[in-house]
This record gives sequence, C-alpha cells and structure tokens, in this order.
Amino acid sequence: MSSRLRIALTKGRLQDKSVELFERAGLDCSPIRNPGRRLIHALPNYPLDAVLAKGPDVITYVEHGVCDLGVVGKDTILEKGGSFYEVLDLGFGKCRFALAVPRGSDFYGTYKTRRIASKYPAVTRAFFEKKGMDVEIIKIEGSVELAPLVGLADGIVDVVETGATLKANDLIPIEDVATISARLIVNTASMKLYKEQIFDFIQKCEGLL
Amino acid sequence: MKYNISIPEGTRDRLYAECRERRQVQGALTALFRRRGYAEVSTPEVEFYDMFLQSGSPLPQESMLKVIDRSGKIMVMRPDSTTPIARVAATRLKSVPLPQRLYYDQSVFRSGLAHAGGSSEVAQCGVEMIGAMGAKADLEMVALAVDALAACGLENFHIELGHAGFFREVAAGMAMPPQELERLRTLVEGKNYAALNDLLQDYQDRPACAALRRLPYLFGGVETLAEARRLAGESPALDYLEGLYRALDGAGYGRYVRFDLGLVHQIDYYTGVIFRGYAEGAGAPVLSGGRYDSLVERFGRKAEATGFAVDVDGVGACLTVTVPKLETVVHYDTRCLAQALAAVDARPAGTCELSPCRTLESTLNLAREKGVSSVLVLEESGERWIEV
Repeated sequence: MSSRLRIALTKGRLQDKSVELFERAGLDCSPIRNPGRRLIHALPNYPLDAVLAKGPDVITYVEHGVCDLGVVGKDTILEKGGSFYEVLDLGFGKCRFALAVPRGSDFYGTYKTRRIASKYPAVTRAFFEKKGMDVEIIKIEGSVELAPLVGLADGIVDVVETGATLKANDLIPIEDVATISARLIVNTASMKLYKEQIFDFIQKCEGLL
Repeated sequence: MKYNISIPEGTRDRLYAECRERRQVQGALTALFRRRGYAEVSTPEVEFYDMFLQSGSPLPQESMLKVIDRSGKIMVMRPDSTTPIARVAATRLKSVPLPQRLYYDQSVFRSGLAHAGGSSEVAQCGVEMIGAMGAKADLEMVALAVDALAACGLENFHIELGHAGFFREVAAGMAMPPQELERLRTLVEGKNYAALNDLLQDYQDRPACAALRRLPYLFGGVETLAEARRLAGESPALDYLEGLYRALDGAGYGRYVRFDLGLVHQIDYYTGVIFRGYAEGAGAPVLSGGRYDSLVERFGRKAEATGFAVDVDGVGACLTVTVPKLETVVHYDTRCLAQALAAVDARPAGTCELSPCRTLESTLNLAREKGVSSVLVLEESGERWIEV
C-alpha cells in the first residue's frame, strides 16, 4: 500500500497545538503553516495530507472515511457522538464542562423544572439524565452566559477554560460535567486497512505525550 | 420545501450506473448463494414492532422507521432481515429438517440522523444457516463470505474474525460490577486506549488485566492469535479461531482472513464467531455477520444459526461500472418491424434503439441530439446506413 493517510484537524487553537506536536515528532508542517489558497496540505516528509475543518465536521469526515484520522475536542465527541476509534488523548486543549449558575441562586433547592441554556444539548441531557432530573434545555448558539443574565435560563452547561468569562458575569461553576482535551480519532475501516501506517503515526504522537 | 416534487431525507432516486452497480453486485451474490445450496426467502417490508423488540435486537428503537396501521398497532419498516428469517425458521419452517440454508436479497430501512449523509434504505444480500453449529458450519460461512466479496469483483478486501467468547473469558477473570464491565466493553469497542488504561488502573492486580489492556490492539494477521495466547493463556475461543484459520488457510482462504479480538460489538446478540468484511475504498464494513445461537429460540424453536449480510451499495461504490453508450438508432418502416427488432436484439444491450419518429429527418435530429453517430434505415427496398 503506497497510499497517503489523510487527517482532519480542528481549526483554531487545536490546529496550532496539533501542528506543534507533529513538528516535535519530526513532521514538516510548513504547508499547514503557510496554506496559501490550497485546502489540502501535503506534508513533504511524511505520507500524510492535512485538511482543516470545524470540530463537528472533523467527526463527519472521519466517520465517512474521507479522512482516515482526525484531531477533535472531547467536547465535540461527547456532543455529536458517532462511530470511530478514539485512540489517543493528546493532552492539549484541556478544559472542562461545567454547570454554572448565577451567584447566590439555589439551583437544586426547588421542585420547579430547571431551565438550562447550552451549546451542547446532548451533553446537558446526559448529565441531568444521570441525576434523574428533568430539565428543560435551550440550545444557544452564541454567548451562553447571557441566557441566565437576561432571565432565559436558571443555569448553563458550557466549556470552561479559565473561568474568567463566568466570573465577569457573576456566574459560579457549581459542578463539573466532564473534563475535556483533544483526541486523536481514527476511521474504523482505515484502522483495519492501513494498520501499519496508522500505528506508526499513533506511536510518533504517543511518544511525545 | 415543495413536498410534491422532492423526496424525503435519506432516500434517493437511483439512475443508470447506480442501478447497474447494485444489480451487478446482487446478481453476483445471489448466483453464488444459489450455487452453494441456499434458497431464497423474502419477508414483509412492514412487520410488528413487538417482533423486533422481543428478538432482543441490538438496534435502538429510534433507528427504526415506524408506521401506525389502521387499528393503531405500531409497525416498523424491516430494520434487519435476520430477525424475520429467524421468525420464519421457528414458525413456517418448524417441521422442515435442519439445517436450512436461506438467502435474501432485500432492503432494510433505518432512520438515520438528519443531514449525516446516510441512506435510510440499505440494500442487503445475505445468508443464514439455521440449525447448524460447530466448526464446519462456521468454516462454510467464512469461506462463503470471502467468495461473496470476490464474486462481486472486489480485489483488495479481507474478512476479519472475532469471537464473542474471548471477551467473556477475559472479562470473567476481572470480577467487575456489570456497569463497569459494560463501560469496559464500550472502551474496547471504540479502541479508546487512554480511557481503557484509566479504567483498568483500579484492577492492576487481576491477571486478566494485561490481556484487556492489549485487547484493542489485538487485530491484524494470524500472528494476533499468538499474541493473544501469550496474554490470555488457555482460551477455548482462541483454540476455536486457530482451528478455523488452519482449515481456511489449507483451502487457500488464509490471505483473506484477519482477526480482531477487540470486536465486541453487540456481544449479547452474537454467541460465537463474529465477522466483518473490509474493502479498500469503503469507509465502513461492507459485510457483517456472525453466530447467533439464541435468536431463533426466542421465537419458540431451538436452533443455532449463523449468517452474514453484504452492504450492496457499499460494495458497488468500490467497483467501476460502465454504462453502455448508445451507438445506433434504427429508423424503420412499420412493415419492417421484425427486422428492426432483430437488429436491436443482435447488438449489445443499450447500444441500439428504435426511433419512434415518423420521418427520417426527425430520426436524424434525434440521433444528433443523443450524440449517436450512425442511423440504420430499414425499408422494404432494403437497408442502408446514414452517418450523422
């Protein structure tokens, strides 16, 4: 098999961290650093082509097998799910999912159905299902912190990195939902068809973690 | 959305080459199945939801397409073919001698996620051998799986074998609570190495721990079995797989056979050998099956069984299918109908057709429009060719 593997990287911060990791592993990532107008970036010294995509799209590309590998946040995996192998915790992009409520409010101290705003309705549903609590979930696309401030929701479930945004808006994280970091995922058929190539790549990354 | 001219999400019209590739695969598979002594069965497209529920089917209820009948009963569009065939085997075929070799060529329907690019109608061709157990039945089935993909015209493919018993054997040595065990199974299934390691931290002292930790890595060629043996020691499941491999290799099937001992999908459903077929060019398995010894019994007759299904369109997408090009249009006088039909029948299918036009001039225009280079004119005075 002489074919090249294709990897989908999540655009933005995870992309920068992935490139750093790959460079430490000895891969020449200059085509990703200087993309020009090209959308598929062929690495010159390793049989790997990279494409950049939004997190949920990385999963879509890998599930359909048009990309063999992907780097994506655990938050996206938890929300979107799907069928692929999650082979490596890359250790970067660390943050957590948390339930946050306005300062001074007693979230659990009422029999009323709570209303939660989140960009991650599936994660939120699973979290409260485990507690055996019925909550009303409102999907918000932008700044979720706004929802409790204007009285739309009693709390939010969101990704927390430093907690600065929460603090500035008088929201207190009261419970962790999950911890999150970047993961290396692999298409199930590619894993079987190109085992040696994929393991070579996994080991290159794994050795540096 | 205009519901009067559009089609539902997940469905599609299949045109020309798409139909040909489907027919080509179905034709190759069904011919092979018949040659090996399998008889065709076909089951209703709509059946009671309860039947699939009772079967312990691993399909989640949200993936079944439901219909409510006039009396309010819940029906589903056939979500898989094995369950109805198990029902048939236990009821209609109750008194026929076993084993029965059955094949089917019918679609199953799944309600997929919106906008995920999946199809809700999946064409499948598959076989079930009801009432046979043991190595010979499994050998026949694995060999048939290899021959099936080869018959379709695939070249770079392999059949991967696993065994539901192997995970059970290894996990039995862990003495884990059931919930933890299910989490373990999910992590092995997803080859989630990192999380698996974390989970096993608390079980370091158990002897089976090393084998479980390596379980997601235990896939590949026949050497996989040797490594598994080093880790797990005595194992009836490994002995069984080794025996199968020796026999398959002796028959020339060895190069198509690989192993994945981490194949622990639907482990409550499968009871023995599990297999998957992978082909270069397909992002998902194109064949899947295994041994399910307790399914038929749920319908009231004890009968071991094994079988597999081929994803017809998955295989078709890996093939290059050419559609014949129209080369000749026949313009004929109605008194020459017999000769005109004979001219069409004498040429390869799809390369020649009759012109319905009354005048020769319209026929020539039609030929130009269709990009056809020659027109055959058949009149009582004789035949002639016109190059367009």
